[in-house]
Parts: sequence; structure tokens; C-alpha cells
Amino acid sequence: MDSLFVLNAAHLHLLLNHVPTLGAVGGLSLLVLAFIRRHDGLQQAGLEVLFVVALLTLPVYVTGVAAYKKLPMGPEVTDVAIRAHQDAALSGFTVAELAGFIAWFALWQARRRGRSSPALVGAATVLSILALAIMARAATLGGEIHHSEIRAAGAVTAAMNPQAFVAAQISHFMVYSRWAWPLAETVHFLGLSLSFGVLLAVNLRILGVMRQVPFAELHAWLPWGMLGFGANLITGMVFFVGQPGQYVESAPFHWKIVFLMLAGANFLYLTVFKKAWATDGLEAPFADKAMAVGSMLSWLAVLYAGRMLPFIGDAF
Amino acid sequence: MLDWLESISIAVWLRESPSIWANPTVLTLHTTGMGVLVGASWLLDLRLLGVGRTTPLPAFRWVFTAVALGLMLNLVTGVLLFLKNATTWGTAIPFLIKMSLVVASAATLIPIRTYVMNSGDSQVEVNGTTRLLAMVSIVCWTGAVTAGRLLAYLVP
Repeated sequence: MDSLFVLNAAHLHLLLNHVPTLGAVGGLSLLVLAFIRRHDGLQQAGLEVLFVVALLTLPVYVTGVAAYKKLPMGPEVTDVAIRAHQDAALSGFTVAELAGFIAWFALWQARRRGRSSPALVGAATVLSILALAIMARAATLGGEIHHSEIRAAGAVTAAMNPQAFVAAQISHFMVYSRWAWPLAETVHFLGLSLSFGVLLAVNLRILGVMRQVPFAELHAWLPWGMLGFGANLITGMVFFVGQPGQYVESAPFHWKIVFLMLAGANFLYLTVFKKAWATDGLEAPFADKAMAVGSMLSWLAVLYAGRMLPFIGDAF
Repeated sequence: MLDWLESISIAVWLRESPSIWANPTVLTLHTTGMGVLVGASWLLDLRLLGVGRTTPLPAFRWVFTAVALGLMLNLVTGVLLFLKNATTWGTAIPFLIKMSLVVASAATLIPIRTYVMNSGDSQVEVNGTTRLLAMVSIVCWTGAVTAGRLLAYLVP
């Protein structure tokens, strides 16, 4: 397996790092317009943008760590400046994921009932604004890593203890606790099974198994799939923050992220698309069947790349 | 006996070969089988316990095909993984617990299968015994996955 971005992780990070801030601005603008114009379609588009932003924030964080490993330290680039950026990015990531999850739930609801509950849309909006504020701070701290001339005096002092940062503490806990890593692995495998079961059912339905069941009844299972995925996102991030060094140059890890993006996009499609609902009792169109096969293959690829981490490369 | 199992040629190959097709592939197939087997089984268990209760039971008959395929794949890959570590796993408590839990959850599937296969075309209600079996099945699969995953850490 050849690696995707070992050589240009830093470039990829500089390219992708605009997504969480600009993407959130885009999604929030759509939600504000939807509110002013009382337009459900705009609201749906805004929520979809927030979900996609949450998805793309994962590679932003991951490539950031890869870029960190490549930076030569010196009087201009200090470890503390990078760690301060990383901590802000981790908080921003966490809030952005939460916003994306709630946006997804609102979309799921809209598909079933025609509209999302205003409380969910409000929560997604507030969390997105919060994520945007934290991400803006992360972006400022990130820009200052290489531009000492714009550094606010005393914003990040070199006197700070590198071990005091949140990411460092999570890492310390994951590495030195006897049970943390094995238990997180266990939850990761249980979450995998739950997601697999739900996606198997939904995709088999599109392929023609249980055709007599209305698609809406399969759609009702999607939050269970999301529960498994959420458990795996949390435990997966805990592994990554715990031992980032072993993943950033691992080819299967890069492929895993790529297939996760595809699988995530497909999950959004399964949540909001209208076609399969219209074909109850009939054969699904070829495009949908291809999508169902693609979904299963993407998840298998995610599992394969994840399980192969210790063997292609040496991550555990 | 365990020594002999560990010394047969395929066990040696799995343990010592650096090939990607040896231990890594067998382990990955075992994880895939787990995802299908446990995932499909949980889905049915949750339905029997009342999730998505408007869907008639016969719609879930495909679950048994998925479970059977996953079980077969994991029986084969599981035996291979056991041969590789026969002397240490054969007497390890976590391994014996895992096996008991797998047998227990697979056993609950037999009466559950009979019940679902014989359910009426539009039957949505589930009797108490089957709900209890579904509960046992969920708990046992969770325990089996946990024991299996911890085996890697508890028994080197």
C-alpha cells in the first residue's frame, strides 16, 4: 500500500484547514437565510453543510499532527506555539463534531417528519458558532506558528509547561493507564459491529432483500448506526491523540481516513435521499444499488485498513 | 495435545510467516466475520426487544443467512488463530470465557430462529421467552467481543 500524503501532509493541512472556519460560515449563512426566509430547503442545505464540515474536520486535525512532525523546531517555531494551536484545534474539533452530529439528527428527523425540530436546529447553530469561534482561535494560533511577527505579545509564552496541554494529558493517560487502551479497543470493536449490522440491513434493503418492508422502517434504524459510528469516532480519536506518531506516517491509516470520508458521505446520502422512499415495493434504480455496494465496500475498506494498522506499518 | 496442535505446519506458518496473507489476513477476516455476525444478530435482538416494532418479523429472516455466513467464516479463522496459540490460549481463562459466551449466544439463536421463521406474515408482537432470549443474546455477544478483544492484552 503506497502512502497518500506522507510527503505533503503539511500542504494538505494548509489547504484543508480553511474548511472548518469557512465551511461553518457557509453552513451558518444558509441557516440564517433559512430562518429569515422561512425556507425548509435552505435549512436542510445548511444542516448538510455542517455535517460535511464535521466530516472534513477529521482530516484537518490528522494532517495537522502530520505537519507538526515535519516542522523543524527553532527559535522561530516553538513546540509550545504548536501545542497551543493543537489544543485549540482539538477543542474546536470536538465542538464541530457535536454540531455535525446534531445537524445529522435534525436531517434524519426532517426526512421522516417533513421538518426538523427547531430545538435541534437551534442547538446545531449555537454549537457551530461556538466551534467557529474556537476554530478561529486555533487558526490564529496556527498562523502564528510560522509568523512570529504577528504574534500577540505574551499570547503564548515559552515558559508554559508542554505537559500541561490537554492533548498531552490525554496521551499520557492513554499510554500509562493499564486499562484505557484495551477498553477503548473493546468499545471500538463493539461500535464497529453495531454500525455494520445497521448498514447491512439498510443496504440489503436497497439491493432488494426485504423489499416488502417500507424504506422508512429501515431509515428508522440509522441513529443506531450513528451510535456505533459515534462510539468509534470518540475511541478512534482517543487512540490518535494518545499515540499520534504511529499513525501520521502509516499508509493504512491514510486510506482509512479516505474511506471514512466516502462512507460518511454515503451515510448522509442514505439519511436524506428521496429516491429509495419512492421505490417501495419496486426494484431500486441501478445508481442506488451501486451506491449500496459502494457503501458496504467503503466500510469493509475502513475495517481492513484499521485492522491492518499493526501489520502494514507498525501502529497498534 | 496442545503442543502438538501448535506444531502442525499451518500453525507454524501462521505464527512465523511475515506474509500479509498469514496472521494479518486471518485476523482481519475474523474481525469482518465478527462485524457481520454480531451486527446482524444485535439488529434482530433489538427488533425482538421492541426497536422498530412496526416491521413484521419475517422481514428479518435474512439475518440468519448473514449470521450463518459470519459464524462459518469465524469458525474457520478462529480455529486457525487458536492453532497458532494453542498452548497459551488452551488454558487461558479469558479464552475459555470467550468460547462459552460464543456458544451461549449461538445457542440462543436456535430457538430465536425457529420463532422468527414460524412467525406469521404480518406478525409484529414477540412473546416473553423470545424477548428474554434476545436479551441473553445481546449480553453474550457483547461479552464475547469484549473477551476476544481483551485476550490480545491479557494473554500474550
